[in-house]
Amino acid sequence: MIELIDLTKRYNDFPAVTGLNLVVRKGEIFGFIGPNGAGKTTTINMMGGVLAPTSGAVMICGINIQDHPKKAKSKIGYIPDRPYLYEKLTGIEFLKFIGDLYDVDEEAFLNKSREMLRLFSLSEWADDLIESYSHGMKQRLVMAAALLHDPEVIIIDEPMVGLDPLVINMVKSLFKHLAKEGVTIFMSTHTLKVAEDICDRIGIIHKGSLVATGTAEDLKRDIQNKEADLEEIFIKLTKE
Amino acid sequence: MKDVITLLKPRFLSFKNKGIFKNDSGRIYKLALFGSISIFFWGGIFVASLRVIGYFKEIEGLGDVLAYKLLSMVLLTFFSLLVFSNILTSLSKLYLSRDLSLLNSMPVPSYKIFIARWMESTLDSSWMVIVYTLPVFISYGIVYGAGFIFYGNIVLVILILSVISAGISVILIMIVVNFVPANRIRNIFIFIGFCFFLILFFAFRFLRPERLVDPEAFSSVLFYLRSLKAPAPPYLPSTWAFDSIKATLSGHIMQGLFHTMLSFSWAGIMVFSAIIISNAYYFKGLSKTQTAQVRLFKYKYSGHRFSGFLSRPCRAFMLKEIRTFFRDQTQWSQLFLIAALVIIYVYNFNALPLEQAPIKTIYLQNLLSFLNIGLAGFVLITITARFAYPAVSSEKDAFWLVKSVPIDLRHYLWIKFFIYFLPLLVLTEILIIATNILLKVTPFMMVLSTVDIFLLVPGVVSMGIGFGAGYPDFKSENPAQTVTSFGGLLFMMVCAGYVGAVIIIEAGPVYRFFMANIQGKVLTVFEWVWVLGSFTLVFFLSIAAVMVPMKFGEKRLSKMLI
Repeated sequence: MIELIDLTKRYNDFPAVTGLNLVVRKGEIFGFIGPNGAGKTTTINMMGGVLAPTSGAVMICGINIQDHPKKAKSKIGYIPDRPYLYEKLTGIEFLKFIGDLYDVDEEAFLNKSREMLRLFSLSEWADDLIESYSHGMKQRLVMAAALLHDPEVIIIDEPMVGLDPLVINMVKSLFKHLAKEGVTIFMSTHTLKVAEDICDRIGIIHKGSLVATGTAEDLKRDIQNKEADLEEIFIKLTKE
Repeated sequence: MKDVITLLKPRFLSFKNKGIFKNDSGRIYKLALFGSISIFFWGGIFVASLRVIGYFKEIEGLGDVLAYKLLSMVLLTFFSLLVFSNILTSLSKLYLSRDLSLLNSMPVPSYKIFIARWMESTLDSSWMVIVYTLPVFISYGIVYGAGFIFYGNIVLVILILSVISAGISVILIMIVVNFVPANRIRNIFIFIGFCFFLILFFAFRFLRPERLVDPEAFSSVLFYLRSLKAPAPPYLPSTWAFDSIKATLSGHIMQGLFHTMLSFSWAGIMVFSAIIISNAYYFKGLSKTQTAQVRLFKYKYSGHRFSGFLSRPCRAFMLKEIRTFFRDQTQWSQLFLIAALVIIYVYNFNALPLEQAPIKTIYLQNLLSFLNIGLAGFVLITITARFAYPAVSSEKDAFWLVKSVPIDLRHYLWIKFFIYFLPLLVLTEILIIATNILLKVTPFMMVLSTVDIFLLVPGVVSMGIGFGAGYPDFKSENPAQTVTSFGGLLFMMVCAGYVGAVIIIEAGPVYRFFMANIQGKVLTVFEWVWVLGSFTLVFFLSIAAVMVPMKFGEKRLSKMLI
C-alpha cells in the first residue's frame, strides 16, 4: 500500500532523510518514531506530496506520487502536526472545501460530514468560524476533513497533540477499526504509549536513516532485552 | 532598565540574523534597489517642497501667510498620521503579538514589558513618517535661509512630537481595550481612518483646487485665503511645534527653544503618565485580549446556489476566497477606497476644462482617451497589486492544504487567476467606457480602448498571480503588505513596462489611423502594414504576458519548501 524506495531529502548540504526503504502493507498501522530532527516530518511531508524528494520514490497504492500526484493524493488522508486552517471559514464550510477538492459528491458529503462532525464532537461548532476554535478542535477538524473522502491511506504526523484523553481514546479505536477495514495508516508520534498500543509495526528513524523496523517483539530481540518496553528500546537505539 | 534592554534584544538580534550585516549579494541588490527608490521619493518630496515654499514666499504680501499656513497644515497632518500609525502599531505590539504569552510568563513586571514594547512601537510607527517629512522642513530652512540652530531644533521638535503622539495613542488604547477587544479596535480604527481619509479626499477634490491657477477665479480665492490668517488651536501639540519652528525660522531663537522646551515637558508628562497607567491597566487589558473570541455571528451553511456551473475545485477555491475576503473587516476599507478611486477618476474626466484648451477639442478628447488606456492600466496595476498579488500569500500557513490535496499547482494558479480576472476586467472596462462617454470620443477610440483593456487585464492579473506565486510570503501577518517586498516591486515594474510598451507600440499607428479618419484620407499600404503589425505585436505580447508569469510562478512555487 505504501512503499518508500531509497527516499532521500537534502536541504542544501544537510541530509534530512537518507535512502529510506520501507513497505507498509494494506490494513497495517505503522508507527514512525525518532528523536527531534531525525527526519520524521520531512518523510511524512514527502509521503503527503507536500515536499518533493531529492531522490527516490514514494508509491501510494502502487502509484508514484511524483509522477501522478493528483491520482496518488486522492487516495491519501493527510494530517499534519500543526493544524493551520482557513480561519475565516466555518467548520462545515472547510469540510465542504475539502470535499470539493477530493470530488466527494453532494449527498455523500452531507452524510459523511454529519457523521464526522458527530464523531469528533464538532456538530455544535459546525457553523462557527474556525478562528474561534481551540487547538484541539482544529486538530479534530483536520482529522474529520482527512477522513471525508474515505482514503485508502492515512498519513498522520503527531495525531494526539492537543487532544483530550477521551478523544485520544476515540481516535485509537477509530484507527484500529479503519485498519481492520483495509485502510493503511502511517503515523509519526512521540507518544510511545500510543505507538505501543495500536501499531502493528514500528520504525525508528535516527539522523535521517531507519535504524530498526519490526513489531515490538522484533525490536526487543534487536536490543537483546525481552523485558524492555518501547521507551527503553527507543533510548538504546537512538543514543549517541 | 536592564530588563527593558533584555526585552528589546530579540528584536535587535532577529534584525541582525536576517542578514542585514551579512555579505549576501542578493540582499545587497535588493537593498540597493529599495534604497534607490527611497532616495528617489525623498528627493522628489524635497524638490517639490522647495518649489512650492519658494513659490509661496515670492507672492507679495501673502507669501509668508501661505507658507506658514502650509507649515501648520503639514505639522497637523504629521501629528495625525503619527497618532493613527501609533494606535495601529501599539495595538499589535502591546496586545496582539504572538510572543506576549511567553513574555508575560517571565519574572518581569508588566510595566517593563510595556515600556519595551512601547519603545518598539514608537520607533516602528514613527521612523517612516519622520524620514519623509524631513525634506519639507529642510526646504523651509533653505527657503528662509535659517541657521544651523533651526535644523537642530527641527530634529528635537519632530522627536518630541513623535513621543507625544505615541503617548496619546497608547493611553487611549489602554483605556479602550478594557471595553472593546483589541483585534476589533484595530479594525474599527482602520475603518474610521479610511472614512476620514476619504472624506478629506472628496472634500479636497470637489473644491476643485485647479481653480487656484485660474485668473478669473482668483479674487474669490484671495478672499478665502484671508481667512487662513486665523491662528491654529492652541491645545494641539502640532501648534506648539509650529510656534517653535516659526520662531526659529524668523530668527527668534530663544522664543523657539522656549516652545520646544514646553513641548518637551509635555512629552515627559506623557511618558510618565503612560508608564503609571500601564502599571495599573496594561496587564488587565492584555488578559481580556487573550481570552477566546466571543461568537458574534453564526454562518449557516448554504450549499452552492450560485456556483453550481463551476468545476468542483474551482468552486471550492472561489467560495473560499470570497468568504475569507468578505469576512475580514480590514478588507472592507479597501473596497471603499477603490470605490472612491473610481468615482474621483471618472469625476476628473467630467471636470476637465477641455473647451478652454488651445488645441482643437476633438483631437484633445481622443488624445486623452488614448492616454486614458495607460492611466486605466496603472489603476488596474494598483488594484491587482493590492488583491491579486497577495492571493497566494494569503493562504498563509494553510498552504500545506493546497500542496496535499489532489490539485496540481498549475490548476490552482489558474483558478486564482480567474477569480481575480473577471471582477478586474469588469471594473477596468467600466472605467474606460464611462470616461470615454464623458469625453465623447469617436467610435474608433471607443472600440480601441475597450479591446486594449480586454487584452491588458489578463496580462496584468497573470503577472499579479505569477509574481505573487514566485515570491510568496506565507509567514506575513498581513499578506496585503507583501507587495512592498522585492517580488511586489518587480511585479509593478514589469507591469508598468508592459502597459507602457502597449501604449508606445500603438501610439504611431493609432495617430495615423485617427487622422486619416478625421481628414477623410485613405491609409497607404505601408501604413496598413504598420497598423496591423503593431496590433499583432500587442496581441502576442499580451499572450506572452499571460503565459510567462504563470509558468514562472508555478515553477518557483513548486520548488518552495513549506
